[in-house]
Parts: sequence; structure tokens; C-alpha cells
Amino acid sequence: MVVLESIRRKDLWVVAILGFLVIASAGMLGIFGFQGLELFAKDLGFSVLSMFSTVVAVLTSTRVMPEELKQRTLYPLLARPISRFDLLVGKLLGSILVSWIGFLLLAAMTGIALLWFGVKFDLLTVQYLVAKMLGLVIVCSVGLTLSLCMTHAAGCTVSVRVAFASGLISRALILACASSSDGFRLLFKVLNGVLPAYGLFDLGGRAAYLHWSPVAPWVILALAAYMLIYSSSMLALAWIRFRRLAI
Amino acid sequence: MKSSIIAMAAIACLSLSGSSISSIVDKVESPISTADLDVHESNGSVSLLGQFRTSVTSWLWLRTDLYLHNGVEMRPLTDGEVRNGRTGVGSADHQELAAIDADKLVTVIPAKSEDFRGILGDLERATRAYKDMAMHTHNDPETAFPLFRLMTWIDPNFVPGWTSGASLIARKSTRRAIVQSLEFLQVGLQYNPASIPILVQLGSLNAGRLRRFDVALRYLQKATEVGQKPRLTEDDNESLVDGYRWLALIYREQHEPELLAHVLREGLKRFPDDRVLMRLSARKAEIRKSPS
Repeated sequence: MVVLESIRRKDLWVVAILGFLVIASAGMLGIFGFQGLELFAKDLGFSVLSMFSTVVAVLTSTRVMPEELKQRTLYPLLARPISRFDLLVGKLLGSILVSWIGFLLLAAMTGIALLWFGVKFDLLTVQYLVAKMLGLVIVCSVGLTLSLCMTHAAGCTVSVRVAFASGLISRALILACASSSDGFRLLFKVLNGVLPAYGLFDLGGRAAYLHWSPVAPWVILALAAYMLIYSSSMLALAWIRFRRLAI
Repeated sequence: MKSSIIAMAAIACLSLSGSSISSIVDKVESPISTADLDVHESNGSVSLLGQFRTSVTSWLWLRTDLYLHNGVEMRPLTDGEVRNGRTGVGSADHQELAAIDADKLVTVIPAKSEDFRGILGDLERATRAYKDMAMHTHNDPETAFPLFRLMTWIDPNFVPGWTSGASLIARKSTRRAIVQSLEFLQVGLQYNPASIPILVQLGSLNAGRLRRFDVALRYLQKATEVGQKPRLTEDDNESLVDGYRWLALIYREQHEPELLAHVLREGLKRFPDDRVLMRLSARKAEIRKSPS
């Protein structure tokens, strides 16, 4: 349903337009004859892909529940023999699916643009795609949870900020931890553990630059485990909130 | 109605204050450029396009550092870290094109010994572009050259783009490379006719690499003329002292004791602590005695 709704709302058209912009930008660089920009194109391509796919994931996941509540379409859904938890899981899975479709569409278009520049792909690129898809699951679970704890607009804004600033906040906490007292150090450690570590899922830095080896299989498994633990925790929080919600 | 009147009165007051401000604008000195990356706010052409291109150029400039480090993000040491005696990773090769001195740099992602995050830290080191950068080497700077072309194309007033790009081309040391580097700088000079760094680099390349002293003198003298401005940026001052050194060396080479003495006097007046100028000044007498 989430996927159908997304198609009806033409969300994926937005993705297609963004993808077209990526290709057009790459084409523009080609027209101006900037030879040797392959590395730059790859770097930019991965950065843009990460950014746009995160935005699509946030927009989709933060919208699904508030809209059902606002349009009162939640009642017929809950009248069916499904629990609130089932509904929540369904919405999360739908958001993830839409995010993945959007991401893969964008990835395909970025891939075409990069092929234009003569960029070659390797195992690391595949690992980048897999890791990014795992990361999008966390983005969706955080977005869904926040959308149940605050208004749609606030949920969307906070999700975007967390998604794009988590790396920066994590760096700040590491720096602060090194030069603070024991009490604050514990606080910073806890904060660092609670914040979603989206940066772990971005292999773009390795994939874009030269001579980096593919990551070990245990790393992908560990990322999957982190994704499962974090998104399950988020889902649990969302369920606690949704269960208490007076409808 | 009342609020409309108040708003109109406020606008009128602002307009009046604007006209009185415009009358004193001429008496106020132009703002000093505090960094290489101006946002073009010092003239009337403040525009979205200008801000956009400056932002893109800044981003590309930082990107060149990332290219030299093969994607490994580096950061300068904080004041606290310096006070605690922490040192940077250091560099084992040429790093003249890197944005920051490697002895003051550490990796953004901390090493395992300095990271409290445990498995999360290990994962980050495994998934991001990270390696131990102690006494690291740099990528071939030529990989970054397209970025210099791109940033100077986007923002032709970004002087470090021209000077660093020219240094990059001139690294090959062939006559062809030097000529190409000079051509690149000439284009930069067209956009920035009063840029001391560009003028000095044109002078130093002509003198040091091609031994075309007459051409070099033209650029270096222009640089010292421009350097008479009361307020210069840090980069301008660094280039200006280089300009005086090159002028002195050329006059010494050409056995022009009077001109040499004049340049050294002027240079030491501006930069009294410069050791090169002091040494040249101390050896001035020997040069005077040299046979022509």
C-alpha cells in the first residue's frame, strides 16, 4: 500500500527528476571538456546518491503514519484482523521498499552517468549499494518513530537533521569526550551510542577513491546486525507510542 | 491601520538612515579579506550566483586535500590537543599543495587507541576511507588538477586555485610544463590583475626556472607596487616577502648594487624579521665588490 501510495503521489517521479539532474550535470561537465574528472564525477555521484536517497527515505517514512491519522484511513485498516504492531511493521516495510526502489533507480541513473565518464565499477561498489540499503532501513525506522512522537513536519525536520548531522555530532562527541571530566565522558559515550550511526553505512569514500580494497564479509554482517538491533529498538519505541495513542 | 502606519514610519526611518550611511561609506575603509575564500560581499555584486560559486569553490578546494589523501579525511589539531602536546601525523613526501601542514593534522576518524566507541569505531574504520596516516605519502597531485581547472572556471577570482594549479603543472620541471604553468597564471592574472601571489609566482617561475630576468622583474615590481596598499591579507604578505627576495636575487645576479640595496631596504622595512632578506643585506658588500 505504501508503494502504491508513493506511485500515486508521484514520489518516484521526483526521484526520476533528481536522477535526470544527476545525468544532466554529468553531461554538462562533459560538454565543457573537463578531462580527468572521472574521480571527481564518481565522488560527486556517490555523495549525491547518498543525499537524495536519504531524503526520499525520510520523506516516505515520516509521512505514512501521520497521513493515515489525518485522513482517518487508519480506522478501516485497524478494523481488519491485524494488530497495531502488524500495521506498524507493514508501514515500516513499505517505507523501506519505497526507499530501496528510489535508491536503486537513482543508483541506476548515477551508474549511467558515471559510465559516461568511463568510470569502472567493482565489488566495492556492490558493497556500497548493499550497505547503503541497510542504512536506509535505519533512516526509515527513525523517521517512522519520530513521526509518531511529534507532528509530521517536526518529525520530518528532525529526521533530516539527524540523518545529515549524525556524523558531525559523533565527531563532536569524540572530541568532547577526550577533553572532559569522567561524568561528562559517560554522558557523551551514552549519547554516541544512542545516536544512529548512519556514517557506518556509507562506503562512498572507499568506493569513490582509488586502491581501496573491498570490506571484509564480517563488516557487512556486523552492519546488518547493527541495523537489526537499532531498527528493532526504534520499532519498539514506535509501537509503545502507537499503542498508547488515542485514536 | 495602526500597524501599517508604524511599518511605513519604520521604513522611512530606515531609508533616511540608509542615505546618511551612504554619505559616510566613502570614509570607511574597505573590509579586509580574512580568508582566501571571499563570499564576494565586499562589492555591490552580492548575488546568489556569487555565493553559490564561492561555496562550490570552497568545497572543491577542500576536496583537493581529500584527493591528495586518497579520501582519508583529516582535521587540524585543536588548541587543546596542541596544549596537551599532541602532534600531527606528519608527511613523508611533498605536501606543498595540501591545504594544511601535515604536522598539524590528524585523521578525523580516531585511531583505535584513541577511540572509546569499541565495535562501532572498528566498523567505522573498516567502512570509511581510513588508514594509519603516520608519515603518510600523498597521491599524485595531478589527480587533483581537474579540480583546480574546475574551481578557477567556476570562480576566476579564487587566487589560490590559480597559484596551486600552476605549482602543480610546474612540478614536472620541463620547459613545456613551465610554459603551460605560466599560461595558466596569465589567465589568472587577467581576472586578478592586482593579485600579489599570482604576480610573484609569475616572477619566480620566469626567474627561477626560465632565467628570464627582465620579464620576471616586470611582474615582481608590479607586485611590490601593489604591496604598498595599507592592508594586505596573510597570503598577500607571504607572497610579497617572496617577491622582495626574488627581486633581490635578480639584482644580485645582474650585479645591480644600488637597486639591490634599495630593494633590500624596502623589503626589510616591510618585513624586518625576514632572515633571507637580512642575510642578503649582510652580504650586500660582497656583491658590490663582485666583478661585472
